[in-house]
Amino acid sequence: MRNCAKRIYLFLMVLFLYLPIFVLIVASFNDSKILGKWNGFTLEWYKQLFDNASIMNALRTTIVLALLASIIATVLGTLACITISKMKKSTKSIVVGITNIPMLNAEIVTALAFMLLFVGLGISLSFSTVLIAHVTFCIPYVVLNVLPKVSQMDNNMYEAALDLGATPFQAFYKVTLPEIMPGILSGFLMSFTMSIDDFIITHFTRGSGIDTLSTKIYTEVRKGIKPEMYALSTLLFVTVFVLLFLVNYGPKTKAKKSFTTLIFKNKVTVAISMCVVIIASVFGYNLLKDDKNYIGDVYVYNWGEYIDPAVIELFEERTGYKVHYEEFETNEEMYTIIAKGARTYDVICPSDYMVEKMIENELLAEIDYSNIPNISNIGTQYMNSAQGFDPGNKYCVPYCWGTVGIMYNKNMVDDEVNSWGILFNEKYEDNILMQASVRDAYCVALSYLGYSINTLNEDELKEATDLLVAQKPIVQAYVVDQVRDKMIKNAAALAVIYSGEAIYMQKENPDLEYVVPDEGSNVWIDGWVIPKDCQNKEAAEAWINFLCEPEIALMNFEYITYSTPNVAARELIEDEEIRNSQIAFPDESILSRCSVYNYLGKEGDTLYDYYWTMVGGAESD
Amino acid sequence: MNKKARRKNALVSSPYMVWIAAFIIIPLLFIVYYGFTDGAGNFTLEQIKSIAREEYYEALILSLVLSIISTVICLLLAYPLALILRNMNLSKQGFIVFVFILPMWMNFLLRTYAWQAILDINGVLDTALSAIGIEGFNIINTPAAIVLGMVYDYLPFMVLPIYNVLVKIDDNVINAARDLGANFWQTLVKIIIPLSKPGIASGIIMVFVPALTTFVISDILGGGKLLLIGNIVERQVKADNLNQAAGLSLVLMVFIIINMLFSGKDEPDIKTVKEGKKNEKLR
Repeated sequence: MRNCAKRIYLFLMVLFLYLPIFVLIVASFNDSKILGKWNGFTLEWYKQLFDNASIMNALRTTIVLALLASIIATVLGTLACITISKMKKSTKSIVVGITNIPMLNAEIVTALAFMLLFVGLGISLSFSTVLIAHVTFCIPYVVLNVLPKVSQMDNNMYEAALDLGATPFQAFYKVTLPEIMPGILSGFLMSFTMSIDDFIITHFTRGSGIDTLSTKIYTEVRKGIKPEMYALSTLLFVTVFVLLFLVNYGPKTKAKKSFTTLIFKNKVTVAISMCVVIIASVFGYNLLKDDKNYIGDVYVYNWGEYIDPAVIELFEERTGYKVHYEEFETNEEMYTIIAKGARTYDVICPSDYMVEKMIENELLAEIDYSNIPNISNIGTQYMNSAQGFDPGNKYCVPYCWGTVGIMYNKNMVDDEVNSWGILFNEKYEDNILMQASVRDAYCVALSYLGYSINTLNEDELKEATDLLVAQKPIVQAYVVDQVRDKMIKNAAALAVIYSGEAIYMQKENPDLEYVVPDEGSNVWIDGWVIPKDCQNKEAAEAWINFLCEPEIALMNFEYITYSTPNVAARELIEDEEIRNSQIAFPDESILSRCSVYNYLGKEGDTLYDYYWTMVGGAESD
Repeated sequence: MNKKARRKNALVSSPYMVWIAAFIIIPLLFIVYYGFTDGAGNFTLEQIKSIAREEYYEALILSLVLSIISTVICLLLAYPLALILRNMNLSKQGFIVFVFILPMWMNFLLRTYAWQAILDINGVLDTALSAIGIEGFNIINTPAAIVLGMVYDYLPFMVLPIYNVLVKIDDNVINAARDLGANFWQTLVKIIIPLSKPGIASGIIMVFVPALTTFVISDILGGGKLLLIGNIVERQVKADNLNQAAGLSLVLMVFIIINMLFSGKDEPDIKTVKEGKKNEKLR
């Protein structure tokens, strides 16, 4: 009886631990991009995995980083242990105590400390900064493993070697090192696994163009993780599983105690060294594919899911520039990175009000239009609208535009949707998705109350805040890009979204409908700008010019479904229904009730942020 | 050691000393400096005092409550588990431990994200439950979902240190207690639990600290509706308000230190913590 209960308990715990892993493995064979929605079996993601340059790059960075960090940490840590063991007891405990800080402290504090150090000293974040951080948090694990071995060692052996005529180096190499080798190896392996698994510290210290698997997954979480990632994780998981299984249950040989058995005694060594071999072969495969017509690099910083990946490849092929492509989630996040000089990019795609802010803070370089002949494809009405935030069109080339509105599910909403008010209707409790960005959330509340979406009037803002706070209990979630999947899966009835999402979502789920409420809303333009400290302006301009080609703009439009200001591209749209769609290209009657966001100044930003935090902290039930 | 040898030792250790000074101590000083200054570099207590702002201390309280609940649940789940694992016969031991460590080789962000898909409305669990007639089991975007995520992610951190201590308890000690007439519960309460205190203490440290400071789990499973103190710090960093982030980190560190002192009373030396981390990664 008792045994039976034990078995059940064990079984339940195993189920608990493996359920999500099972879901992920199933997802890697699922013919749908949405996790948890089964569409049929496919091996497509495994095929695409090896062609997915960004995942392969992230994998490579992860491995190289982990290898370098653990090697450096092992050398430094071992050296430290040998000297620490000779120190006075009090000094020793202080040094060991300090060494352990990164291991015992909260990761977010350690991460922030590194960020402040680098930013405070004006060092821009790069691969080296991540490496330094990783080495530092790996060292305690080396010391942990090596120090006991060093302490156990009989110092007389070393002395004897010296007496027999060995130099100190020889004595160390021939006597000390073999003795402490097992400790060094397990320290190295532990560092390696810690480094591979780290997210928070990498997230805070990484430079532009540097993505590890963890940071890549984190940015992808917002918009739905690419199934190739599930495929990669499944492969890694299965590899480790098989290796550990073999090591645990494989034939055991009892060889003489030699250096090799020392290594192979440690099961994980075998596991990891084989992983490394496998991954190294992936690198080899990748190296073979490197470009021949390479002429330089261009660092691009864009919104998530905001370009057709095929366009990037075409650009690389046509121009010979290697594209380092990275994504941000909100304008504000991007601004911090650029303003702090933490990372440098050559070309960025912010929204209207953010362009204005960046111009005002002198972060942008003027665009040389002689390098962008394709600018003529952009409709003059859009260039004129852009003057609202970029007088004289000096800094910004419009890329996408659209409105903010409500997407609703016809089967789940029986009221007529023409007002923001429906988002405050308790009838739809837990069925409402709001945007997680400050300006869009306030756009909803301010428009509903009949105020300007650029107001700086504190009373109006307070009123809007009260409204949002009161709304919070009926909101299901504040989302960024997850909104698509949720609406398509019928997981919510109403959502605040950008018009560009609407076309894609309707394609996937015909029950969805998009509306710009009567009270008015926001019309926005995102455009390409070149930051002042860009490293390769020519490449940046080549990039912008390329994106303005009608065929390329059309590819992007078809992929991301956000309205294009490229008139020539719109002419090329074959599907008449889309070419004349009121969602993609709303007419004047809709546009006239929409206005753009303006930059509100530093004080305005602080004000909005202050009130928005109130909404964030409010009770949700 | 003679003077010369000592000097030589100091010389060999110098690269390491420079490293820990530059990358452990100075960064912490930077946190202190930023935490006590405003954007212009003037001394202020505002950053620290900002924790008194309603939204912030509520986030802190919520984090404390959720992390304490998670730690307790982890302990309650992990202890019997470790006990069962200990009592399994030796040949199976390797396999069982291996079964409990293997999940950690899948990226933890992905595993947490998978929970989102499981718990979501019309998600895996919802669909399965409604198939057997249970409707409306929705905990996504609630504190319960966050606690579940924390328990899931940090359970091994609790199981392993306890297991490590339990396997070291001599069977003879337990048998002696039995021979002297103690029943199962008496043995557990009077012998096994007191002997495993160091493991429990290090398990608590290793679950509580990351649970208190996480922002990822609340991000993925809380739907942006529930802010933990980790989210507040991360938001401040994103909003270019590094001073405030540093000030709040200082407040957080106070709780981390309190937790260590508190658990430390049961005398786990740092080593069990470390061994826990080691085993959790290495098996």
